[in-house]
Amino acid sequence: MAAGQTASWRRVAADPALLTAILAVWILLLLFVLYPLAHLLERAFFDESGFTLEPLLASLVDSGHQAAFFNSLILATAVGVLGTALGFLFALTAVRAGLSRHWLTFLDAAALLPLVSPPFTTSIAIIFSFGPRGFITHDLLGLTNVSAYGFWSTMSAETLTYFPIAYLTLRPILAAIDPNLEEMAFSLGGSRWRIFRTVTVPLAVPGFANAFLLLFAASLADFATPLILAGNSFPVLPTQAYLQITGLFDFKGGAVLSLILLVPAVAVFLLQRAWVGRRTYVTVTGKVGQRSRSRAIAPWASALLVAACVAVAVIIIYFYALLLIASLVVAFGANNSFTLHHYEVIFTEGLPAIRDTLIIAAIGMPLGGFYGVLVGYLIARRNFPGRRAMELVAMINYALPGTIVGIAYLIAFNDPPVALTGGVLIIVACYVFRYSPTGIRATVALLQQIDRSLEEASSSLGAGSGETFRRITLPLIAPAFFAGLGVVFIRSMTAISATIFLVSISWTLITVRILENMTEMALGPAAAFSVFVIVVVFIVVAGLSAILVRLRAPAAGAAARSFLGG
Amino acid sequence: MAPISIQLDRISKRFDHTVKGEVYAVREVSLAVEQGELLTLLGPSGCGKSTTLRMIAGFEEPDEGTISIAGKDVTHVLPNRRGIGFVFQNYALFPHLSVFENVAYGLRVQGRDGPAIARAVGDVLELVGLAHYDRQQPHQLSGGEQQRVALARAVVFQPEVLLFDEPLSNLDAKLRVEMREQIRALQKRIGITTVYVTHDQEEAMAISDRIAVMDRGEIVQQGSADQLYYRPASEFVARFIGRTNILPGRVVSAAEIEIEGLRITLATGRATGETVQLVVRPEMIELGPSAGDPVEGRIAARTFLGEKTDYLVTLGGSTLQVSATDHYRRPPLDVGQPVGVRFHPEGLHVLA
Ligand SMILES: Nc1ncnc2c1ncn2[C@@H]1O[C@H](COP(=O)(O)OP(=O)(O)OP(=O)(O)O)[C@@H](O)[C@H]1O
Ligand SMILES: [Mg+2]
Repeated sequence: MAAGQTASWRRVAADPALLTAILAVWILLLLFVLYPLAHLLERAFFDESGFTLEPLLASLVDSGHQAAFFNSLILATAVGVLGTALGFLFALTAVRAGLSRHWLTFLDAAALLPLVSPPFTTSIAIIFSFGPRGFITHDLLGLTNVSAYGFWSTMSAETLTYFPIAYLTLRPILAAIDPNLEEMAFSLGGSRWRIFRTVTVPLAVPGFANAFLLLFAASLADFATPLILAGNSFPVLPTQAYLQITGLFDFKGGAVLSLILLVPAVAVFLLQRAWVGRRTYVTVTGKVGQRSRSRAIAPWASALLVAACVAVAVIIIYFYALLLIASLVVAFGANNSFTLHHYEVIFTEGLPAIRDTLIIAAIGMPLGGFYGVLVGYLIARRNFPGRRAMELVAMINYALPGTIVGIAYLIAFNDPPVALTGGVLIIVACYVFRYSPTGIRATVALLQQIDRSLEEASSSLGAGSGETFRRITLPLIAPAFFAGLGVVFIRSMTAISATIFLVSISWTLITVRILENMTEMALGPAAAFSVFVIVVVFIVVAGLSAILVRLRAPAAGAAARSFLGG
Repeated sequence: MAPISIQLDRISKRFDHTVKGEVYAVREVSLAVEQGELLTLLGPSGCGKSTTLRMIAGFEEPDEGTISIAGKDVTHVLPNRRGIGFVFQNYALFPHLSVFENVAYGLRVQGRDGPAIARAVGDVLELVGLAHYDRQQPHQLSGGEQQRVALARAVVFQPEVLLFDEPLSNLDAKLRVEMREQIRALQKRIGITTVYVTHDQEEAMAISDRIAVMDRGEIVQQGSADQLYYRPASEFVARFIGRTNILPGRVVSAAEIEIEGLRITLATGRATGETVQLVVRPEMIELGPSAGDPVEGRIAARTFLGEKTDYLVTLGGSTLQVSATDHYRRPPLDVGQPVGVRFHPEGLHVLA
């Protein structure tokens, strides 16, 4: 983007505001991205005698770890395939079934709900439904002695939680396939099924691959679901690494395990970049003519699609209803009389967690929003040596599984020179550097639509780069700022995989309290906490959306969507 | 001669090209713009006009050479310290600021006080004929109005020089003529040194004190509009400025040349027997009865254009473009009709 200006230090050095910004970002990236990662590697590969591969080799031959590794891959593959299929089903329905606005909104809401929920929501609902005293297994089917734990439940929960990612990836691609193309094939006498097979699906293939890889990565990194649902019979890497550290206090073993997790994660990341980078979706014409209802799908097939989507949506809504009910009864399944006791508990005993979480989210929100906008601006608009490197490093914590980031932070910031463990700063930093990349990408996307002559005009009128940024760029990329800030807030309320390693006696999180409640089988308070989080997130998202609408900036819509994409 | 305001000394700019590697967008351009002068950079698309202008503004840095403004070397000075008003092709108004705030921007940055800003902005909006538009938002303005706001914004803080990059190309033909007259009038009135970029030769001729013609990153000729028209330095300039015939001529003596068998008295200073290229503008050729000419032409096509009639005339091995502006006084010539063709020594220019 910044082509045209040649990168030169002289140019940068002549501009104090720019130089300061670049240095500040690099210092932050060094401290909160590269330094912890370096510590993790050092812990895994060095001992008193120097470099050693022994812990790695020991870990690799450990049959438990091998099982965890393969379980992780199997789980991620299954979630990738099923989630992509489900996402495609939703995307195809949304784009081609000719649904009315209301139905579309309904499907969207149901599909996006899991993305903004705290991590254990689906798991809790599955236990309520299929556990030993589950609503479906016990009450409806009269089964006893069933287990809700293991591969199947973990996979179902993750698929339901993550398929919206595939939906969000595939929907624009399907929408961009010009219906006229299908129309044309249709008018040439192709049968509908044949057209679907030979035109629609091949054009969507890059989207499938991308969706699969995103889901694969999400499942690989998921910590919360397997911790609750996988049980002892189905260990996976993130939970093993967690137990290694919290159960055995074996930091080295945890570090090594998390690095084993790094291998497939990096492979997927590179594959995805290469794939998405090289593909151009040739059919994206930019101007889709009339959005006439496509005849490429037979009415009966359309009905089938809608029915399937509605069924999935109903399951999701049933889960959330279950959660709400469980938070309002004494003991779900055993004593179904109404009570507000669980809410009383979370607002008394649980209050510190709520307060801490809100404080952390409130601090991280503006910091993350501003950081995302600043880095996005530097990457998209300024040319300086090391720009590409900055872009890459800024994405690292986002691309890595949370378990790795959490363990790296724990190891790096436990001791001087930068002892932050136990404080609030470490948790805030973790969220900011892990979840701001959404804001960075939203900023870059927005800046690509804003002609750079605006900034040139400002500078010719005498404004330095800092002043131009403040007076011109910042107001124009406000939508990206709010989107980035929103994502940091949502994740601060709902994430656990990294920060579970960073909580302390003085600073804890709602998500961690939910986990504790779950292990104590205090499912009522866990449900109440979850409902609380969902409500807060909903209010904040609604507030930010209202701001975005009022900003009426050209790309506010796109920025709003990126709330959920992240 | 007025003192030099902008001086470019052998500046070059290279860009990375994905296929060709590094290519020169501007190559060893030297240029001196006098105080209060309006100089136009004219040339076809991609010839490096914008790049040159953007280097003067400081948006791009030259790879070689130096730029000075008002005697100071500004080659490595940032744009905001150059004191330059820039008017962009797309206007580049700040969409989130009102007309008043757009124009006031430069003054606010300078930290002027409120009343002074209000006065200056009011004056300049008056000057561009937008006195009551200060509360409007940019998106509520027409293209011409937006361009006048951009102009007001660029001059209000009294910059050293004013730069225009194809400011009128988004306007319709009539408005273009109107606006260019306004720009010229304003420029003369405040006497500001101006560099103006366009690819429209008519606009360039109408507005400029001096024109520099660019081709493939280099300045190929500088001069006033009539110098470029009557005395083009190359076939490129001749063809780019106005319409032209380029005809081969043979020097038959020190004072005479021959074009397609017609002899014309013209001292070329070339050796006898040499072949030269001659630039002949269409309106400088006269058509008449072919009484006794050794060679006669033949009308190949006729186009009536109101103010003139254009003919295509074959003469020997050449086809001439001829414009008759005295056509209201004679009957039109018919296609196929033989005609006499007359060249005048004043209308012939020998290319080097
Ligand atoms: N940022 C850039 N990166 C790479 N090449 C560039 C860049 N800007 C300009 N060029 C190249 O430099 C050459 C000159 O471009 P320039 O914009 O100066 O042309 P121009 O004379 O203004 O043309 P136009 O009349 O079309 O605006 C072109 O060949 C162009 O492709
Ligand atoms: Mg240009």
